[in-house]
Amino acid sequence: MENPFQETLFHRNQAEPCTMVIFGATGDLTHRKLIPALYNLAASGDLPPHFQCIGFARRDKTDPDFRSELETANRKYSRQTHSDELWQRFEQSIHYHRSEFQDLEGYRSLKDALDRFDQQRGAPANRLFYLASAPEFFKPILELLKQAGLNEAPEGRWARVVCEKPFGKDLTTARALNEVVSQTFEEKDTYRIDHYLGKETAQNIMVLRFANALFEPNWNSRYIDHVQITCAENLGMEGGRGGYYDTAGALRDMVQNHLFQLLSLVAMEPPTDLSADSVRDEKVKVIRSLRRWVGPEAVGHNVVRAQYTAGSVDGVERVGYRQEDRVNPESNTECYVALRLYVDTWRWQGVPFYIRVGKQLPKKATEISVHFKKPPQVPFATASMLSNSENTLVIRIQPDEGIALRILCKQPGQALIMQPVKMDFQYSSSFGKASPEAYERLLLDAMLGDATLFARRDEVENAWKFIDELEHAWHQSAHPPPMCEYPAGSWGPKEADELLAQDGRQWRLL
Amino acid sequence: MPPPQLTDIDLSRLGMEVPLPRIDHALKELWEQDRAKTRASLVNFAIYTEDPCSLARNMEMLESITAEHACRAILILNLPDGNANAPRAYINALCRPYQGQQVVCSEQLCFILEKGTALQVQNMVFAHLDADLPLVLWWQGSLTQHFDERLHSRVQTLIVDSSRWTDPAAELDALSEALESRTSHFDVRDLSWTRSHFLRLALAGCFQDAQALAQLPQIDRIEISHAKGQRSAGLLLGAWVAGRMQGELQSAGEEPVFARPDGPSITLHLQESPDGPALSSLTLSGMNVQIHVSRDGESRFVHVCAHCTSHEHEEVFPADVESDAELIGEQLSRAGGRTLYASMIPVLRRLV
Ligand SMILES: NC(=O)c1ccc[n+]([C@@H]2O[C@H](COP(=O)([O-])OP(=O)(O)OC[C@H]3O[C@@H](n4cnc5c(N)ncnc54)[C@H](OP(=O)(O)O)[C@@H]3O)[C@@H](O)[C@H]2O)c1
Repeated sequence: MENPFQETLFHRNQAEPCTMVIFGATGDLTHRKLIPALYNLAASGDLPPHFQCIGFARRDKTDPDFRSELETANRKYSRQTHSDELWQRFEQSIHYHRSEFQDLEGYRSLKDALDRFDQQRGAPANRLFYLASAPEFFKPILELLKQAGLNEAPEGRWARVVCEKPFGKDLTTARALNEVVSQTFEEKDTYRIDHYLGKETAQNIMVLRFANALFEPNWNSRYIDHVQITCAENLGMEGGRGGYYDTAGALRDMVQNHLFQLLSLVAMEPPTDLSADSVRDEKVKVIRSLRRWVGPEAVGHNVVRAQYTAGSVDGVERVGYRQEDRVNPESNTECYVALRLYVDTWRWQGVPFYIRVGKQLPKKATEISVHFKKPPQVPFATASMLSNSENTLVIRIQPDEGIALRILCKQPGQALIMQPVKMDFQYSSSFGKASPEAYERLLLDAMLGDATLFARRDEVENAWKFIDELEHAWHQSAHPPPMCEYPAGSWGPKEADELLAQDGRQWRLL
Repeated sequence: MPPPQLTDIDLSRLGMEVPLPRIDHALKELWEQDRAKTRASLVNFAIYTEDPCSLARNMEMLESITAEHACRAILILNLPDGNANAPRAYINALCRPYQGQQVVCSEQLCFILEKGTALQVQNMVFAHLDADLPLVLWWQGSLTQHFDERLHSRVQTLIVDSSRWTDPAAELDALSEALESRTSHFDVRDLSWTRSHFLRLALAGCFQDAQALAQLPQIDRIEISHAKGQRSAGLLLGAWVAGRMQGELQSAGEEPVFARPDGPSITLHLQESPDGPALSSLTLSGMNVQIHVSRDGESRFVHVCAHCTSHEHEEVFPADVESDAELIGEQLSRAGGRTLYASMIPVLRRLV
């Protein structure tokens, strides 16, 4: 029988009852993101009825201790104001389960706990396993989940797994991980998180492109000169981040996942429908069509890597990358990378996509800019009047989410002088309401079984395939391309500027 | 001289008085005063009222609506008992903070008509719209007067509040007629219906549970507690709940009864409570089952308590929509299109 009252839920979908198990529940991610996201779902009425959440970690704790730690975190990190009335009810659904990740007994007792909830509820619930642990534990967790029979859903229910990033550190490890995952869960029940996809503006890229008749006809090599994607951070290795970062680097940490996801959304063909697989089919084609840079020469010509040296950001002195806490003083890890990419499809023939990402840059900003070609001829203007005058469409992902369009106008006066002007749409000005956090949207989608905003196996593996060639040229060739340098607080190394200058272009000034 | 029903204090709240032909010019000057301001607009939101006492309330409401929904706000007060003086216009910017400054602003235009005709009302609206943006109109007057086809044929969303109608039957007839007119394409939202939104959500959430769902055929009674003056909100909610359980209205009156093809009939019992929110509780009961959804006093949450044969459980759902501004905000956040409310009009007409 269908829920007859469902029709009132018009613009929202409500998930069926489920129990979520968080592996690594005493960690930073759970405190800062997952619990506040669940709490905000509860505050908006989007959590399914009978929801239960079990935190799995190794430290000894009681339920009240665990709840009170999470309450403190929620007061600090929740998007909506913390309400004691709601928390009192919400915390009843949170439980702590102490066990080592590698201990089968812990999984058996977890199964007992899940069965107990089902009994109280009077019917078996769906199960969502969230791997919020360091990636080296994914394998033992998945294997033991299977041994305990937890990967199999009760009759008529589902069991799903959500994997945090990083998903592997190269193609081999990603494949191995995918193998382990696929031996435990089917691909349709596997949700690989990329929180960039949960951001409102990332989701808006598809709407902007496919719901506006204005852009799509011009969205190709005939009208677009090039595309730039910038992800700048004005921080370095604060809070002990250096330990992990130095083993990964900008290319693995940001490009393989987040920036390739943005690139896919910008470059993909229109999907036939909005089902998860139709969208992801189109996105993976973009990654598969990326022109390969193989060998140190091609990589050196198209990719720039760099580390920051001492400098200052926002007037504060910063040490160089190699002097950072928990970073190897002889580190060969890049904290800046700029790439020239080509998507070899009919639509994008000859259009370069320039991507740059880096730490200790002058400001924090993630933006996509689409640079249109100049008009073929303007009868009343000389070529010099049209310099620096192309139309640019900017999609700001963070902060200040919005869209800006630069167009050319005549400056008032007798003479014909043209001036670029900017039309700017800011989400926060037009929509006073705060957008949900990425994790809210993604957790709800995982409960609803909508994988559109999650990375599919072939997307991840194809992205690694591309990235591996670059890593190989950097770290395993006899004559690797150089590691460049830039002072903290600058917009990256001069070699990155030259990358565009070779093509007669410049990085956009953010 | 202010119109007889209004004081200078009332008028001073409306902003700067400007001659009608100078409105556009004055708005431009307003924006030029402070270069840092961002003008933002997603819709034209117009309010039509004939009640001079509602002026302050409407102003406060607009201020709070524009904090979340950037719009061009147009408030028209048409005084039926005025002296037929020339219309007066006022402009104002309603700003909200952004990064510590009051910078994001919506425009507010206010018009005072005395004995205004339908044509004058239309002119006030049509001459001052922000072009290309949809028109949402909250009609606080009677739909039987001045609400003519030329006006509603240009409206995208019509908002009404059936709890304020003195003759609901006549208003519903006028509304149905407008909806059926060949040139109209508006969708209609009744705040009385929106008032039950949170109870409906909580109820729907509760029946996501298979156990509760299995008990649905047993239910034979719906009880709703409503505040004074909110009977229409209760009737709408009760009729919807009964309708979703296949109930067809069999008899109207004090305790309406809905017959079901298979299963017991459902009786709707409305109860007025002296204080509390517009709708404070909804109870569905029958053999071995009771679902109780309630909201206490000022709480921002509703508690759902379900007792079925073998189990019992409680949930908490949000109830963050109560004031007029919040109700309107909820409507402005919605996509357009078919509304459930429109499908409820025929049964509501039989119930009032
Ligand atoms: N933090 C973020 O903002 C963020 C953002 C994006 C992705 N991620 C990813 O999310 C994952 C978790 O990050 P995190 O920052 O939350 O990590 P974290 O703070 O180091 O937390 C690790 C968690 O794993 C548990 N744990 C470690 N070893 C265990 C064992 N042998 N048996 C049982 N439990 C064990 C710890 O439990 P005890 O406390 O009991 O030791 C703790 O709950 C990582 O894959 C990370 O890359 C994190």
